[in-house]
Amino acid sequence: MAKYVEVPVGPQHPALHEPIMLRVKLDGEVVEGVDIVTGYNHRGVEKLGEKNSWVRDIYIFSRICGICNAVHAQTYTQGVEKLMGVEPPPRAKYIRTIVMELERIHSHMLINAVMAEAIGFDTLFMLIMRDRERVMHLKEIITGQRVHADIHIIGGVKRDLKPETAEKVLRVLDYIEARLKHYKKVFEEDYTIRKRLEDVGKISKQEALKHSLVGPVLRASGVPSDVRVDDPYSAYDELKPNIVVRHEGDSLARMLLRWDEALESVRLIRAAIKNMPKGNPVPKAIKRAAGKGEVFSRVEAPRGELIYHIVSTGGPKPYRIKVRTPSFNNIVNSGFAYIGERLADVPVILTSFDPCISCTERVLVVDEKKGLRKWVPFMALSRGEIRVA
Amino acid sequence: MREVISNIFSRPATIQYPREPAAVSSEYRGLHYPDLNKCIGCSLCMVDCPANAIKMVKLPPDYTNPKNPRGIYPVVDYGKCVFCYQCVFVCPVKAYITSNKFDMADYVTHNSQALSLKTIRKGDKG
Repeated sequence: MAKYVEVPVGPQHPALHEPIMLRVKLDGEVVEGVDIVTGYNHRGVEKLGEKNSWVRDIYIFSRICGICNAVHAQTYTQGVEKLMGVEPPPRAKYIRTIVMELERIHSHMLINAVMAEAIGFDTLFMLIMRDRERVMHLKEIITGQRVHADIHIIGGVKRDLKPETAEKVLRVLDYIEARLKHYKKVFEEDYTIRKRLEDVGKISKQEALKHSLVGPVLRASGVPSDVRVDDPYSAYDELKPNIVVRHEGDSLARMLLRWDEALESVRLIRAAIKNMPKGNPVPKAIKRAAGKGEVFSRVEAPRGELIYHIVSTGGPKPYRIKVRTPSFNNIVNSGFAYIGERLADVPVILTSFDPCISCTERVLVVDEKKGLRKWVPFMALSRGEIRVA
Repeated sequence: MREVISNIFSRPATIQYPREPAAVSSEYRGLHYPDLNKCIGCSLCMVDCPANAIKMVKLPPDYTNPKNPRGIYPVVDYGKCVFCYQCVFVCPVKAYITSNKFDMADYVTHNSQALSLKTIRKGDKG
């Protein structure tokens, strides 16, 4: 029987930015298996959503994730709008789309910067983060805050887009587009980056489909799947985004695909501002009660397909809201991608999946006896019911 | 290489924050407080606040507003507030005065009571 060395990577580890644990089983330097342990960031958001009203929940669910907050708000709001039978005005749909695409650009810039840092290229990290700040500033002048957009409301948006703001957005986008092209070239041509990323963590088309991976990870393996095209929401049915697909399936393909998607987002924002319909996007009154029923709402977040299942029994509060985030599929199901790689490549592969732990962890790992390991509910541990030998 | 040279001669991208003022746009959602001359005490902002940061309190005894029959007004606890501006949005009489002030971190807790009460005196004088 082969003997392994087990190396715990995380939950607090210099190579990782968020609390997740990878139990890496090593045979020499080669990874033989990875156990992915989650549950360090549980906050009980879904239960909190059941106790608050439909309007309050927009803000509660947009705070599941800092980076993709407008996308969470969009998924929730479009589900609730369907449930209540409210149709937002077309101008509101365009403004929502602009905010979500800005979010996609800065999210993809962030993970590429983090990847540059993970492979030891700190200068590139600083440069990308400097230019990302310009995108954050655009979000601030449109919505009012750098990070939390909070622009969605049932039946529209909370702020109109002023013409001078739209002009400024277009001006800054010219700069952003040039920089995005530059960084893409750096990732394509730099010898060190290619050495670290090429053929690392390769996922074939069949594997990606079998393990139900979503988003850029799936598209980098050659599967053209994008909710913006497959099931258009907001203004995407008129803007017609192009699906970016790459066929290599390795870490480099995943990072390059994100640069291409950011460039596509720049095109979409320009088209949205150009074709923006006139009218008042701000609703005069908010509907506060929903009838009986359940809806299923899905949106393409920067990390992949985000799904909300909203159940209502009528009245001012939701009965149950289930959130399935893209990182949940991409992190928990991707253990197979590490096998056969070196230990030093583990953080690189994890970063190339764009993990968002605060998105993922709304579930608690309940006790399960596996050999010597015991996973127990967090509350039981804190009450002192379980003694650790 | 061109990148290096252009960055040597460019301005620093960061600012020395407490010594220099941070560049915050006028659109920023910052400190906000209700104007008591406009507030009608309808409590909608309290109902919608996702952070439970708003409490309704009684108006001072020496001030009465015919538009505010219940005699109550909202007080925002800035320690709890998440600055989503739902209260500003939902207010039927647009009573909230907004600003882009953001530096509110302090050792003591802040709320909007003193700022709101100032608006009364302004109204009385004018």
